[in-house]
Amino acid sequence: MSQLRDPAHRVSPRALLMWHVESGISALAVATGLGVAAVLLGPDGLRWWLLGLAVVVCATVAVVVPRWRYAVHRWEVSANAVYTQRGWWAQERRIAPMSRVQTVDLAQGPLARLFGLATVTVTTASAAGPLQIEGLDRPVALALVDELTLKADLVAGDAT
Amino acid sequence: MSPVPWQRLDPRMLLVHPIKEVAKFLPVLIGLLVAGGASGTGPWALLGVGIPVGLGVVRYLTTTYRIADGRVELQRGLLQRHTLSTPVDRVRTVDLTASPVHRLLGLATVVIGTGSVVSDSDERLVLDALPREEAARLRTELLLTTVRADAGPLATDDHVEQEQVVARFSPRWLWYAPFSGTALVGLGAILATAAQVNESVQIRFSEEDLAAVDLTFVVGVVLAAIVLVVALAVGGYLVTNGGFVLSRYGAAWHVRRGLLTRRETSIDVARLAGVSVGEPAALRVARGRRVGAIVTGLSGDQSGSAVLLPPAPRGTGYDVAAAVLGTPAPVTAPLLPHGRAATTRRYSRALIGALPLVAAATLAVLAGGPAWLLAGAVAAVGAALALATDRARALGHGYVDGHVVMRSGSVLRSRDAVAAGHVIGWNQRATWFQRRAGLVALAATTAGGKGQVRVPDVPTKAAITLAEAATPGLVGQFLEDR
Repeated sequence: MSQLRDPAHRVSPRALLMWHVESGISALAVATGLGVAAVLLGPDGLRWWLLGLAVVVCATVAVVVPRWRYAVHRWEVSANAVYTQRGWWAQERRIAPMSRVQTVDLAQGPLARLFGLATVTVTTASAAGPLQIEGLDRPVALALVDELTLKADLVAGDAT
Repeated sequence: MSPVPWQRLDPRMLLVHPIKEVAKFLPVLIGLLVAGGASGTGPWALLGVGIPVGLGVVRYLTTTYRIADGRVELQRGLLQRHTLSTPVDRVRTVDLTASPVHRLLGLATVVIGTGSVVSDSDERLVLDALPREEAARLRTELLLTTVRADAGPLATDDHVEQEQVVARFSPRWLWYAPFSGTALVGLGAILATAAQVNESVQIRFSEEDLAAVDLTFVVGVVLAAIVLVVALAVGGYLVTNGGFVLSRYGAAWHVRRGLLTRRETSIDVARLAGVSVGEPAALRVARGRRVGAIVTGLSGDQSGSAVLLPPAPRGTGYDVAAAVLGTPAPVTAPLLPHGRAATTRRYSRALIGALPLVAAATLAVLAGGPAWLLAGAVAAVGAALALATDRARALGHGYVDGHVVMRSGSVLRSRDAVAAGHVIGWNQRATWFQRRAGLVALAATTAGGKGQVRVPDVPTKAAITLAEAATPGLVGQFLEDR
């Protein structure tokens, strides 16, 4: 019996590095907060253990989650559809026919700009969420936007 | 071609606004009159009446509208002029509302729904007010143009010359009022009022008062509260839904309802993506159903516009859904169950929900608390099991007669059917646990309602079968043999 396969393309390998940096920064912040709380509020004898636990958990998350995300994040554009996969613990696959694409959006955050990456967001008329591809190389993202715009333009109607 | 002239509202609205404004200013007016009477300054009271009347005149003089070049245009405002303009073929719904004052004067307010997400009241297309017949004519014109713009042979089939009534209010429907959400609203209102009264009057209970409380008193209070809630629910239902008529005329469905304020909603047939049959637990007990419309371009939070049938007998609900969909099968046909893994997940999730209660009760008893706490824990587990059973039974999906059908939920169960042509994509979401169990939460996205119809824990293969049946080739190109 057939099953839904992963989309064909991975995102840029630099996205892995960017996600490491991103999660490293937030893990550091969370670990600091938790650590301070543990040392100040924790019961005697236990506080240093709590601090250690907070650091280990945050470090694990910071190392594991970006790799997991990189393994999951994939995308594919066929002649008549867009197919994306993202997430890590909870993973979401979204498929939208080209005829229903309303807008194609390219965005670069400050960190993404540093790494030369971009996010492409494809919206349909549904309020249930757009299709998002994070961590594309900027040239790839630009080419993708052009391709999608061209293909979506070929279809008449108001895409609802 | 000469430009289409701008049209004014009906001059009778000059009477509506002063009456409404005066009602709004009534507390101020009374205050002014009292103050005026006390200090002898009469002219101030006149000012209180003059301002609202003046505002009404200004609004009348500055508001104009027209339909020209395929656009609806509305101008208003004295100092800050607003010009709103929207293509006629973007019109999804047309609402005619008439408050008691409007009805007295033969007027109606027209609200034109375009499905834009703007909620700012300044940006809405509202004409307050037009003569009744003029409003009805405008509605026909707007909805007709929509169909013409969409063109195609379907448009002529969609057009019905003679008005066909599908459902009409019956006093028997009042039976369902206490089982609907309005009953909860009534209960909330009573509690809020009681709290307010208690706060302002500062009732104090003495020892003797508390000693005088016996079973008869408690039963009396509970009975009185029930009677009050039922009366409020029935009253609210009657005011909102009295005179309800659902009919098909022209290229739209028309919903008329309201005992005092009469509201008429018209939904363009071409924009009607599907229906949602609401079967919440309380309504199931009373053997009732409600039906809502999933309308393209109309978001879920404008829920007042999407009602097709208020809580009513189950048979009527099915009839309405069948008439709107053009086939009864999507709401009556048996659905595919989701199998063992999905059922197991319903139970494990419900039991995990009950776990903190059980743990807390056990710890409390171990620490020397009263033993009846354990009975509470048992009750919580029982409730969780009952909920899980009902939720597992609700799960179902299917592709029935051209419609994607999904059903889920227990307390707020609903069965949604969306025509395949209105499905604009698929979302599949699965956590690590779901992936291990071979399940996904499947959502068919659509441009109306909440943006999707969704059902949890579909076996992965069944999800693909459903998607392939509704939108052939779309998901199929991304499959592999495994």
